[in-house]
Amino acid sequence: MRPNLHIPDGFLAPEVSIALWIATAVVIGIALRRIATERTNAPARTVLMGIAGAFIFAAQMFNFPVAAGTSGHLLGGVLAGVLLGPWAGSIVMATVIGIQALLFQDGGLLVLGANIFNMGVIGTLGGSLVARATSEVFGGGRRGQFVGVGFAAWLSVMAAAGLTTLQLGISGTTDIGIGLPAMLGTHALIGVGEALITIGAIGFISASAPDILSARTSERGASAPRRIALGSVIALITVSLAALFASASPDGLERVAEDLGFLDQGQGPAFELLPDYTIPGLDGTVSTILAGAVGVAVVVVILLLLGRVAARRRSA
Amino acid sequence: MIATGRQDARAAIVTTLLVTLAVALLPTGSYLAYLLVWLAVATVAALSGIAPGQLARRALVALPFVVAALPLLFTRSDEIIWAGELGAISLSVSGAGLRIILTTALKAWISVQVALILVKLYPIESIVGSLRALKLPDTIATSAGLTIRYLDLLRNEATRMLRARSSRSASPIGETRERAGGSIPWRARVTGNLAGALFLRAYARAARVEEAATARGARGSLSFGGLQQTDPRIVQKAALALAAFALISAGGALLPRF
Repeated sequence: MRPNLHIPDGFLAPEVSIALWIATAVVIGIALRRIATERTNAPARTVLMGIAGAFIFAAQMFNFPVAAGTSGHLLGGVLAGVLLGPWAGSIVMATVIGIQALLFQDGGLLVLGANIFNMGVIGTLGGSLVARATSEVFGGGRRGQFVGVGFAAWLSVMAAAGLTTLQLGISGTTDIGIGLPAMLGTHALIGVGEALITIGAIGFISASAPDILSARTSERGASAPRRIALGSVIALITVSLAALFASASPDGLERVAEDLGFLDQGQGPAFELLPDYTIPGLDGTVSTILAGAVGVAVVVVILLLLGRVAARRRSA
Repeated sequence: MIATGRQDARAAIVTTLLVTLAVALLPTGSYLAYLLVWLAVATVAALSGIAPGQLARRALVALPFVVAALPLLFTRSDEIIWAGELGAISLSVSGAGLRIILTTALKAWISVQVALILVKLYPIESIVGSLRALKLPDTIATSAGLTIRYLDLLRNEATRMLRARSSRSASPIGETRERAGGSIPWRARVTGNLAGALFLRAYARAARVEEAATARGARGSLSFGGLQQTDPRIVQKAALALAAFALISAGGALLPRF
């Protein structure tokens, strides 16, 4: 179950590759400018970024057994962003992904812009912004931090998997109707592994060397209006993603079933909480979005509980 | 700070990118063009002292990704080459889908070989130095140089930490059943702790490296160093790369497709 989101050359249409190269170059350019204006010692920061790149490489070797033959792995996008800051973190991830393509042929060269965009820009920059905002919404502190980091790590893997599939679909090298549910289904689990490892790493660092993280994370929760605003933005982003994925309808498997003619033979589960990802009594997009919101709420509650347990263990 | 002999790989980088782009632009089903490009790539490899067979085998790394394209075989409804019943399921296989899958696999396979020739001919330091000469921003070039330099060291450290973990806890189930460790979240947390501990070591190392660099008089930005000698025939080589691009594109347009 090793997450492989490094697209090789040949899988993306050249125009898709080039468009994503441009998007990546613009964002990394902004990141370079942003870190240049930070009041930190430039050589020290560059050395830290370089060695942190090697750290991400090495940390991707860490796995943990889930069941025989299956293991959880770390991609490290959100981890890099939380440890180094969103901008420096995304530059480090871009460098790591570039070296992986050059040295290990893990991902292509022409499609490197797309790979950096999916994992470095959306995964790290987007992921660490989500982590920070989520942590503020949940009142900051230890618990908020764990919830934020875990949720962002999970979302970053899902977003990278979804974007990869969409780009392949636009390029005509996969069928989005089947590819999207398959990729998101497997990566929903891989993302949980990513979230747990990332929380473990941040927990260890914040317990052993709290000063490293204190500059990077908000210690306290945001004020009530800010909390509501941030919460709405995060929920909106997540729900739109969920709605986008849900609208790859008819659902991939159902479509295969329909195409292959065995849809009628399928039996529904004994009871359905949200039949067809919709809320009974409502119809259309509103219903799908509401169903998405319920799904997000469930994930958030689970993470909240996990965060509480983790925080209690730490303080015990 | 990091000084190694750096050759000018700019022409090779430009050629690699242009050939990869030309291959990506080849139309679906132009197998003859792919064969000719592969023969050319294999010839260049052989002339550079790289065994083409070995190159072809190593390039298979990209092929597992073809799984992503497999649904096209059944979801496309054009050029049905086989349709039948498999028990209760009626199945059709599309020729158009098959063509896309084969083409994508060939493109990936050839592109990896082209990239492999580049990294086999030039050490990674030369490639990063040349990218810097091609206007890769300083911060990225220096950071990439340091990443490459400390890669083996940190990977060795990670290997030792994993070995230490498996002798104490969290071994994969089935290998040493009695030491399989706690629940899955517990194992995940232990793995996270390892990553955290490794980061603290990397952080301490970065502070030491920075101190050492300052002690030796490094000021301002660290320089990863430019190219030691520039290729005098870079323009001619770039023109050759463009010619290769044009030739492959022409082949794609003129040669028959299947």
